[in-house]
Formats: sequence, C-alpha cells, structure tokens
Amino acid sequence: MQDKQFMRETVTEAAHAFRAGRMDRRSFLALCGMAGVALPSVLAGRAEAAAGEIVMWNWGGQSEECHGSAIGSPFTAETGIPLKFDTSGPLQGKIKEMVDSGNVTADVCDGDLFDAVALGATGHLEPIDYAVVSKDKTLPGYALEHGVSIILYGYAFMYDTEAYKDAPPTSWADFFDTAKFPGQRSLYKWANGSLEAALMADGVAKDALYPIDLDRALAKVKAIKDSTIYWGSGSEAHDMIVNGEVSMGMVWQNRGRNIEQETNGRYKMVMNGAIAMPGAYIVPKGNPGGREAAMKFIAVSQSVDAQLGLFSCLGMTPTNSEAVAKISAEDAPYAITSEANMAVIALNDPTWWGQNTDAAVNAFLEAIS
Amino acid sequence: MTRTARFNPGWYLVAPLLVLVAVMFAGPLANILWLSFTDPEPGLTNYAALIEKDSLRRLVWTTVHICLITTALSVILGYSIAYAMANVAEVARQRMMLFILISFWISVLVRTFSWMMLLGRKGLVNNGLIELGLISEPIPFVRNELGVLIGMVHYMIPYAVLPILVAMLGIDGRVLQASRNLGASPAQTFWRVYLPLTKPGIIAGALLVFILSLGFYVTPAIMGGGKVLMIAEYISVQVLITLKWGTAAMLAMLMLGSVLGLLYVLSRFMKLSEALGGGRT
Repeated sequence: MQDKQFMRETVTEAAHAFRAGRMDRRSFLALCGMAGVALPSVLAGRAEAAAGEIVMWNWGGQSEECHGSAIGSPFTAETGIPLKFDTSGPLQGKIKEMVDSGNVTADVCDGDLFDAVALGATGHLEPIDYAVVSKDKTLPGYALEHGVSIILYGYAFMYDTEAYKDAPPTSWADFFDTAKFPGQRSLYKWANGSLEAALMADGVAKDALYPIDLDRALAKVKAIKDSTIYWGSGSEAHDMIVNGEVSMGMVWQNRGRNIEQETNGRYKMVMNGAIAMPGAYIVPKGNPGGREAAMKFIAVSQSVDAQLGLFSCLGMTPTNSEAVAKISAEDAPYAITSEANMAVIALNDPTWWGQNTDAAVNAFLEAIS
Repeated sequence: MTRTARFNPGWYLVAPLLVLVAVMFAGPLANILWLSFTDPEPGLTNYAALIEKDSLRRLVWTTVHICLITTALSVILGYSIAYAMANVAEVARQRMMLFILISFWISVLVRTFSWMMLLGRKGLVNNGLIELGLISEPIPFVRNELGVLIGMVHYMIPYAVLPILVAMLGIDGRVLQASRNLGASPAQTFWRVYLPLTKPGIIAGALLVFILSLGFYVTPAIMGGGKVLMIAEYISVQVLITLKWGTAAMLAMLMLGSVLGLLYVLSRFMKLSEALGGGRT
C-alpha cells in the first residue's frame, strides 16, 4: 500500500515534469516502467494525462452539463487545464476503495461535507489549501480541513394542494401528524434529513438538533411508518410525488421548484424547517491531476459567476454570500439560505454525520424495515 | 510415462481461462473472506454479530422468508405453465417458449417500473377498479412485501419453467398410458407417476429460483418502498454509505456459503450437471 502510494506519487510528479517539458517522453515512459504498478495506468493513458486534466467525479444527469458550463469553462479559460467527468457518483465507499486500491482516477468529488469529515479522519483525502481556496466564500463552519462547502442542497417537503385544500400543512409537525393530515408520506431512506425532520416534528428547536437523539427521532419515524414509503434517490422521490403515490413527500430541496412547475403548481414545497445540506468538493488522496490544480478548481467554483451558474442550472444554493445577494427576488424563495429562508431552515452538522453515519443509517434501516 | 501420455493438450487451451478465473475471481473472493475476519479488527466479531444483533438476524430472516415464498410461487406457477407447454402441439409450444424467453430477456429494471405503473396507487389497475366502482380506496399492491413478491415471482417464473419443461418433455408418454391401463385414475396417475418423474426438474427449478432470489436487489429496493430490506441491498449500503466493509464481507460470505451449501445438498440427490443442465439427454 505504502510503496504503491510512493510509486504513484513518483509517476505523477514525473507526469508534471513531462508535461512541463522538463522530461522527455522516453524517460517518462521508462520511469513508468520502473514504477511497475503504474503500468496499467500508463497503458490507459492516465498517468500521462494526469498532468493535463482535472477529472470531476459527480452524479451524472444534468450535473455534467451544469458543472461544465458554470465551473469548467472559466477554469479552463484561466488555467488551460480541461475538465473531464466521471459520472458514477462519488459515494464514500467508492472514494475509500479508489484511494485504498492506489489507482486514483478522480481529482475533485462532488460529495457531502460529512464525507470530508469521515474520509478526512481516515487519511483518504487531501487537505484543502486555504491559501488558494477562500474560507470567506462559504458559510461559517462549512470550511473544514478536508472539504469546503461549495453549494447547498437540502431536504424539504412538498404537499398535494388538492388533498389539503383549506388547511395545508406548514411544518414537519404537520407532516408527522397523520390524524390531522391523512395520506401517504415519503421520507429519505438513508436517514439523513429524515431524522432531523422527525426531531423538529417532535418539538426540538431547529438549532438544537445536534447531537441527534436517535431514539427520540426513530420513535417519531416509526409512529407514521404505516403511512410512509421511503426513497433512495432523487428521481424516486420525484416519481413518488408526480405519480400521486404520496400526499406529502420529502424531496431534495433543489428539485422542488421543478416539481412545482411540472405539476402546474398542484404540489407545493414548504421551506419551513427545510434542512440545508452542505455539498462539498473533496479531493481524494493522491489525485492524478495534482493537489494544486484541484485547489485552483475549487477556488474557481467559489466565484460569484460559477455559483450563480450552478444555482440557475441545478437549483443548488450558493455558499458565497456575495452570490446569494445577487439572486433575484423571484428566485430567492428557492434559495435555501436566502434572507427570508435563513430564519426558518435548519443547518446540517457535517461533523455529527461524519462521525455517526454508520450508527444512524443502520438504526434507521432497522426502524423502517 | 502413461501419465504424460494421458495429459490432454486441450488443457493448454483452457489454461489461460483458468488462470484468468483464478486471478480475477478467486483473488478478490479471498480478499473478501479476509476482510470479513479482519475489518474493523481481527477476529470473529463480524460473524458473532450475526447471532448477537437482532437487526442482522431479522435481515437474514426477511431474505430467507421472501425467497422461500418466491420459490414456492414460482415453482407452482412455473409447473402449470410447463405442463401446458408440454401438452400442446409443437407450434404452440414454440410460440409459448418465445413469450417465456422474451420476458426472460427484459431487464429487471424495466419490469420493476412497468409493475409500478400498472399497480401503483394511481396505476392502471387501481384506477380501473376505482372507475368501475369496485373499490373506493386504491389497493396497496406495491411499496410493500406484496409488491416485492409480485416483482420477484414474475422475474423468476422462466427460471422455474425451463428445467421443469425439460423434465416433462423427457417423460415417455407410454408410462402414463400404462398407469391408466393398470387401473389408476387420472389424479392417481398425476400424483404417483407424473409428478415423481418431474421431480428432478422441480428441484432444479426451485434451487435455481431460490439461489437467484437470494441476491435480489433492484426489485425489493424499489417495490418494497424501503420497508423490505434484503441482504443484497444491505450489503450495498454497508459498502457504500456506512463503510462497514467487515459486515458487508461477512454477509457476502454467508450468502456464498449458503449457495454452495445448497448446491452440495442438491448434489447428494442428483448429478449437478443434470440438475443445472436440466434433465438427461
């Protein structure tokens, strides 16, 4: 493991030198040959390409296009380094596997800030270089050692305006009240957000959610289990609502506006009690493009234009307050940290989740299955 | 001397494949076995959890219970389909076979979503029944255990039909005539002659269905609405989200062990090649 890491670093260094013209092609290939372990990556052209591009590991779908136009274009214009994508979804387990195997093929992961806490502690991530990346262009507490929040998404719920005509639900307390508001519900299957929602419904103040009282939250979740179904992906959450499977459903907050438009306003999003999630860019240890280029990329993604681009393209709220200030009055209700929303939303604590994901997710699965 | 003479040079042709299998399959498998005993700490903790933790016991039980029901239903339905196919004219049989194969080839994801459209709360079936005034509230066909069973049985039926059909086609019709001739009623002939003769097909079909059901992931995840948690999905969560690789490896080993165990049990009753190849030739 250690020597693999060393070989990889040697070859990556050489790749930089090769690209910069400090080393000729033959010596570079000879070095790759000597490094041995790097042979497959040389064959795949990776080590050679390493010095010449940044690979962003995201979730596919629209995000490839959006990240490309909002961050990729200005980044390439500024540095000359092209941006490529791996759209297979950087789940924690996949990042860990990639780093452990010594064959790192991604430079920047579109992950969660709690991933930075969990994987940073186990040595799987490069630390963020705050000489290049700005701590001021994110929310307080969201610039951590191994990750910085670039955008915010979150959890909110939507309800069927026809099912609750006269007295629509306005809070998580209403969401969990099946007597007053009958009908099917949907919650996120992997605990995140669902636990916070349950606690708020049970009367916990939005800024006193952490550390999460698991027993209390799960009791609340179990109480409405018979009228709840659980989703595992954003598209599933979307389908449950537009197909009329639920009368109230939790969704990714940044997708709520699309659903409102798609259903001609039949389903409406409630921002009261929405839980803002810090989406973070994190860099796997030993990334092929080099830490420096990855940091530069993250810095570009903090710029006002990039942030506004992501907001209009993906609905994800900027973390840079300067960008938030430029959001129009019409769009502001859908920006989770707009001035009006800040008073009613809860902010996710990445440290708690980074340290307790395993216990929370498994307890949640046990409670709902 | 004789040994060298008997060595079949054909092995040279097979050797690359064997090496490939050893490296690409046995290697990672050994790695998983190793993980199951060493992550997070060396010892038997992961396996002990299987006995100590209610949640894991329940997980295993849910999986076995769903697989058993799926197997029983698939074999019963598959048996009647195979029976029909074995007793129609050749042309009709080929047509039926085509339908079986078509459903066999459709991806599990497509089928799952089709079922959701048909049986969902606002699906074709529920809407139809409501329009007809037969029901007032939609019937919860999916997003529960029933949904998982519908999806899985539908997927598994071809796997039950094929081996059973082969066994049925191998039966000499004169045996049945002899049975009737000797005074047995049609029911007696079925229960005492026909059914025992198709037993190898039934066992092979049931085993195949059970083994494949154990690893089901997509159907329970979507049609269960999150409430039916089976081992395959749990393993994926432990690998990707909670990073409990030791637990995941232990469960993977448990599944592999059960499958090998089942195959061993089967081998005690019949030749494996016969069971999995579907009857004698």
